[in-house]
Amino acid sequence: MGILMILFTFLGGITLSAQSAINGTFSRKAGTIETTLLTFLTGTMFLAIFILFFGNGNVFAILEVPKWQLSAVFLGVLFLLFIIAAVPKIGVIATNITVIIGQLVIGIVIDNFGWFNSLVIPLDMKRYFALLFMIIALYFIYRGNKRASEETTA
Amino acid sequence: MRYISYILALLAGAALSFEGAIYGELGKTIGKLETSFYNFFVGSIILGLLWLFFGKGKLSYAVEAPKWTLLGGVLGVVYLTSIVISVPFVGVGITMVAVIIGQLAMSMIVEHYGWLGSKKSRINKEKILAIISMVIALVLVY
Repeated sequence: MGILMILFTFLGGITLSAQSAINGTFSRKAGTIETTLLTFLTGTMFLAIFILFFGNGNVFAILEVPKWQLSAVFLGVLFLLFIIAAVPKIGVIATNITVIIGQLVIGIVIDNFGWFNSLVIPLDMKRYFALLFMIIALYFIYRGNKRASEETTA
Repeated sequence: MRYISYILALLAGAALSFEGAIYGELGKTIGKLETSFYNFFVGSIILGLLWLFFGKGKLSYAVEAPKWTLLGGVLGVVYLTSIVISVPFVGVGITMVAVIIGQLAMSMIVEHYGWLGSKKSRINKEKILAIISMVIALVLVY
């Protein structure tokens, strides 16, 4: 069961990359805001059907939860807007690697301080090294991308 | 000007982490699928407003565009659902590692062949080194 789940999540990662590539293509003709709007609209439609069949939570409890928990939607919007803006300029792989690095760095910070009721996991030696390798990765992807675009224009 | 795009992508990742932490809390109250529905639904409203005031593109292109370019929304839902289903079975750590490796492998292939309308950009030594460094960083984090 476990290995099947891992494969399934692996597929999830694949769809995320495919999404950024497809959205980047669509945005060249339709525009950044328009592409993001369309992604959110179609996503809403699919989830509405999904919830009708498989939802076992309570959407209406939304009115009772603390408001800060609802503020994350602005972050969700920014996330997609920024990705759609970046892909046509720097490409799929540089965007994805850079997003992951931003995600991991903030993840490590949130863990360290235990913000938002999360588990406290202190920033130890291993995680310092992880940060170092992310910076190295960022450097390589920048260099690699620059070289690739020089080769295609040359 | 290129580096601005890198900063945007970094900020997008940072936003995703904050979002994940906050929605984790919301999910406990209203349910996981319901949380992503909330995100997509209210996000549509926010973007509808943004589009009305600042949209300079052409939304009607959706009608004439090749249909596969409209799949972005569904793919986002597949991604989210796969995470929601997998976390209880294998834990957050392994889930994130599997997602990220899938994401990296796929981006490299997509771009190498110029699939899905992306700009073709060959795999080179630096890109492979970047991915190796990412995998090392992932192992160190979890």
